[in-house]
Amino acid sequence: MREVYAIGVGITSFTRLEYPLSEIAAYSGMMAMKEAGFPNIAHLYVANMGGCALNHQAGLASAVVDSMSLTPAGATTIENGPASGASAILQGFLGIASGMYETAMVIGAERMREVDNLESTEFVASLTHPLAEYIYGVTLPSLAGMFTRLYMEKYGVTSRHLAMVAVKNHANAMDNFFAHLHEPITVAGILDSPEAMTNNPYVADPLRFYDCCPVSDGSACVILASAEVAKKMNKPLIRLAGVGQATDTHAVQEREEPTDLLAVRRAAAQAMQMAGIKPGDVHVAELHDAFTILEIVESEEVGFFKKGEGHLALERGETSLTGKIPINTSGGLKAKGHPVGATGVGQAHEIVLQLRGEAGKRQVKNARVGFTCNFGGFGNNVVCLTFIREE
Amino acid sequence: MEMNLYGYKCKKCGQLHYPYRMVCKKCKRNAHNEFDLVPLPKNGKLLTFTHLYTLPADFEVAKLTLGIVELENGIRVTGQVSIQNPHMGMQVKGKIEAVRQEGYDTNYGIVFYEV
Repeated sequence: MREVYAIGVGITSFTRLEYPLSEIAAYSGMMAMKEAGFPNIAHLYVANMGGCALNHQAGLASAVVDSMSLTPAGATTIENGPASGASAILQGFLGIASGMYETAMVIGAERMREVDNLESTEFVASLTHPLAEYIYGVTLPSLAGMFTRLYMEKYGVTSRHLAMVAVKNHANAMDNFFAHLHEPITVAGILDSPEAMTNNPYVADPLRFYDCCPVSDGSACVILASAEVAKKMNKPLIRLAGVGQATDTHAVQEREEPTDLLAVRRAAAQAMQMAGIKPGDVHVAELHDAFTILEIVESEEVGFFKKGEGHLALERGETSLTGKIPINTSGGLKAKGHPVGATGVGQAHEIVLQLRGEAGKRQVKNARVGFTCNFGGFGNNVVCLTFIREE
Repeated sequence: MEMNLYGYKCKKCGQLHYPYRMVCKKCKRNAHNEFDLVPLPKNGKLLTFTHLYTLPADFEVAKLTLGIVELENGIRVTGQVSIQNPHMGMQVKGKIEAVRQEGYDTNYGIVFYEV
């Protein structure tokens, strides 16, 4: 296989955007093109989950490739639930690693705020098993709530730990211009104050409002290229060194050990093995914290901490910006936002910035190895990526 | 007639599944629909639950309690929980009832009550 490099990135604000989905998608693509010096794009991959269901836009990639005047390049839309973004990057990786293409553009885009909350909840709930889960009213927050209760019972995670994740990620997002929430919060404010039950009500108990990510619009883009193209550029060389993907049962109840996220463990192991690194080598990571509990659990499953000890590491501050392994420096899904199809590409965007040393106030010092975990469904389809900066 | 949830028992290797799947997860060799329908027990132990306050549009109630129950034969099912103050590990009994009205369609599923 050939080596694959990220030569350009772009992003829009993750927020409510009043533009057509195809424009939202193209915008981050234009930023990345400018940054990469307008390379010749052989194939465009567009990750999106709700174009058909929410925005009346089928075949999004065809709309975007033309809107960006990239025809006759190939164009493919990739729908893989909330893991669409990293799945599209994986496809771009294969296109270049195989020798088929020299450059490929990967865009993730979503416009969920076009519909009201009820409709977007319903849309995301369609990820669940239609007969064993959906008909009962099961949504993603309810699966996360049931999972959290088990985790609290087994490992001693408390609401305070969950709030600490939210506080950390909100603080990181303050330094990220593109984040959805620029809102500093404190544990006292969302948990201890007399107003806590009003400003932080239960959504799916024990998960509260500030344990859940916002519903966002937005897009992000990464341009991938072969070594030959990348080495001509006057920029730090960021190599997409490892990719991994794994799946698990559709219905959560069927998993043998309900507190395990096996797909995360397997996908992460693949992505790290391919890159030739160990969890301890990672300097900065973006983990899929659609719910605060997931950041804690994923930090264990990918191997940063022992199973059941992620919340203790969080307590010690090891996952904060100045800690041993900073997690979600961008604000994560919790505060940067979660435009479902764009999220995986957004994570890669943050890691590329960090490895280049362009992350501004939230820069992790001397970051050379970065890792992302993009989590689909409730852990039934997970894609992990490893990026390495080459000197 | 008593209504049941049904498990699917592979005719080749005897593995019991719920929910339905096309291919047996143990032997992976069954032909299409090569399963025996086995009524599942309705009683079991509540493994975990949540009170959900942001509901899909079909539910016009303030909150919905959902849970995962391990039935007497070890099969786990997700269902609605109609218990005021549930706790993990408690014994529950299930009934098959209408659980969701989608337009003119009524969906039936399992609802758990206190024993």
